[in-house]
Amino acid sequence: MPERETVQTLCRMCDDRCAINVYLEDGKIVDIDGYKEHPWNRGRLCVKARAAVDMVYHPERLLKPLKRTKRGFEEIPLQQALDEIAERLLAIKDKHGARSISIWKGEAIGFAQEEDMARRFVHALGSPNYFSNDSMCYNGRYFGYRLVEGSWPVPDYENSRCVVIWGANPPHAHPNMTQMIMRARKAGAKLIVVDPRMSAIARQADLHADLKPGTDGALALGLIQQLIETQGYDREFVEHYTVGFTELAEYAKAFSPERVEEQTGVAAAVVRELARTIAAAAPRVAVYVGNGPEHHENGINNIRAVACLDAILGALDREGGNRLVEGFKANHLTLYDEIPLEHLGPIGADRFPVLYGFRQECHTMTGINTILSGEPYPIRAMILTAANPALTNPNTLKVREALGSLDLFVVRDLFMTPTAELADYVLPAASFLERVELHTHAKYQRITMTRKILKFPDVQDEYQFWHDLAHRLGIGEYFPWEDETELTRWILEPTDISLERAAAHPEGIEYTPIRYRKWEKEPFNTPSGKVEFSSQYLKDLGYPALPEYKPPAYLESPDPEYPFVLITGARKLIYYHSRFRNIKRFRTAIPGPEVELHPEDAAALGVADGDSIRITSRIGSVEVPAKIKSAVEILPGTLQMTHGWKEANVNLLTHDDRFDPISGFPLMKAVEVQVENV
Amino acid sequence: MRIVEVDPTSCVACRNCEYACAFKQTGDFDIKDSNIRVNFYPEERACIPWTCVHCGEGWCMEVCPAGAILRNPETGAVEIDANHCAGCKMCLLACPSGSIHFDKVELVSKKCDLCGGDPACVKFCTSGALQFVEEEEAYSFRRESLDNKLKRLFGLNKRGS
Repeated sequence: MPERETVQTLCRMCDDRCAINVYLEDGKIVDIDGYKEHPWNRGRLCVKARAAVDMVYHPERLLKPLKRTKRGFEEIPLQQALDEIAERLLAIKDKHGARSISIWKGEAIGFAQEEDMARRFVHALGSPNYFSNDSMCYNGRYFGYRLVEGSWPVPDYENSRCVVIWGANPPHAHPNMTQMIMRARKAGAKLIVVDPRMSAIARQADLHADLKPGTDGALALGLIQQLIETQGYDREFVEHYTVGFTELAEYAKAFSPERVEEQTGVAAAVVRELARTIAAAAPRVAVYVGNGPEHHENGINNIRAVACLDAILGALDREGGNRLVEGFKANHLTLYDEIPLEHLGPIGADRFPVLYGFRQECHTMTGINTILSGEPYPIRAMILTAANPALTNPNTLKVREALGSLDLFVVRDLFMTPTAELADYVLPAASFLERVELHTHAKYQRITMTRKILKFPDVQDEYQFWHDLAHRLGIGEYFPWEDETELTRWILEPTDISLERAAAHPEGIEYTPIRYRKWEKEPFNTPSGKVEFSSQYLKDLGYPALPEYKPPAYLESPDPEYPFVLITGARKLIYYHSRFRNIKRFRTAIPGPEVELHPEDAAALGVADGDSIRITSRIGSVEVPAKIKSAVEILPGTLQMTHGWKEANVNLLTHDDRFDPISGFPLMKAVEVQVENV
Repeated sequence: MRIVEVDPTSCVACRNCEYACAFKQTGDFDIKDSNIRVNFYPEERACIPWTCVHCGEGWCMEVCPAGAILRNPETGAVEIDANHCAGCKMCLLACPSGSIHFDKVELVSKKCDLCGGDPACVKFCTSGALQFVEEEEAYSFRRESLDNKLKRLFGLNKRGS
């Protein structure tokens, strides 16, 4: 019998980061299951976690550095690859300046310190141009809530009497959130789901508001109007802890249930019922907003309107409501204070000042234009780590053209992706089972350290890569730690948690106890120190001060040539954005792309289930098999297609020039299209 | 003994349990190989997970002419010994809940064996609709749910605001 060993760490097949037992025999991982002692997932897992075994030992895994040559990609030694990349970066820096060098961080490497390593590296090099997948995910919600409440709170599901899931499908997107919601329901909480589709979570909803895509703001303002009209709001909280209530109340007056019905398609009676349900549960109302409302031209103001509900209900930072998180006060790797580079013109910061101002993010879609035009200055080199914009950013053809035209394009990943195929160098990246890093579960205010369980000879972890490159570029002083373990030790230095203690607690360590009603003693993290229904900061930047509603373009000015509206990017349980299409058994479960449509639309088009249909937008066209849903699962005139498929890439259809004006997020969930039977 | 308790009011038909079971049986994700099945009825918005409850008097055991269905003394699970199964399908007929299916490749009947006492379907259930519980405690969540209603009705829940 080979010796069996068990190690606990966190899964990073998605951003839920569930605690796992990793079973090894003779140093090889043979199985993974859930680790029961961590309060986050209590031993439960989704089936992606076990597939990490397949991922790390996948026959297509990149294990050697590759260099593009006239004969295609060829393996080269790691040290040579790093030498050549450094040499070419220095030449580009000399010719075009440091800011012509950029970084693009993806989702496959994990957040926390590894994102900050990339930010640190590019700043140390003298460039402000840090791009990431957050140009299209997460930031939008963060901005919506930060503008109103000072940060993005976490829903206190288990103590709530009403859970509102707004534009999210946790069973597929954040599987572990599902058990929290269901525990709340078992304790008697109502579940409200706001989604144009009958998503998996909507199957258990007490009330499902199937609104038209992009009309979220009208519904939120309608709820605000009802709560105020029926005196179902927290007068005392509003009076003491908010600014702009009078203006918001005045603005919301126009959103009667009848007007909301006309805008959203949700019946006026349902709007009243929703308002009654949340008012009856207040202040124990926990609201989670997903990615759905972000990808619209009025996305942030729609999310702001939803965020206002927390304060109106008095649910903000109360037990069973939405709790403000206290951060982990560790050392940070970013250099924004030490080396401010805003004067160099971070790409997109002029047009989307909130994006740069709040998150120091450059705008990827503007970045693509800049690579192609050289305006306002050239971007000639990019190191992209585990992102796949050639599938996941809007307007794929343009993305491919831009990335393929760089003087130097370096991609780090586990597998050869459509993005990596455009690179000059492809470097093998380390999976989450090959890295040490600290993760925070904000809901429990806990940190957990992951373990380096495996090591492949030419596969560098993120820190080793940035360290080795920095030392070749003359910025080694910013990367003095010998390895990621020593770096983690430094990150923990100002805290009362040592590296050894973190390592000894795979169930995580609570870094500060959970407190509610912090507003009684502390100001909110907003300019006024209060909850801001109305934002002077936004007004000064030329945006509306109130979370104003604008109907989506497909409703306001329908284009007769493109009569259908396409939602993109609904999640599938077993796939994570463009990842895992190469796990064989996942293909058994979901073999390929499909577009969901209503049975009446299918009948009118003469389409049978599985027939190929052509979808065309003003940007491009794709052919994809039709999946005819039941009449209650999707609205007529509405289609849904999941992203990340090479075989039928939905981003051939999406616009890279229609944005939410505050966040810069692209319109991806209400794309006007036409449909043909082929 | 412990059984897999199913709660249709928590299930979202995500199919994690079916994938996990199929994987345990075959190494693949074909849900036809799963010994737990989730039926989803969109019109009614109903999600119903179901698997073998390992009946006290297993009719499948009684009817099996090959004597291939036996109770595992350790876990209490009613198990089919594939080496003795004749493939007659009588157990499929006998099972009152349709919890046995026929494997047309191996030509034997298949059913839940509780994974030897650590059922994969429960470990990979992300909603909590599946729990592995002592049979005498099964469905106690029904009582707890009533308790919660009574607590609220009589204002007995005094914690917090």
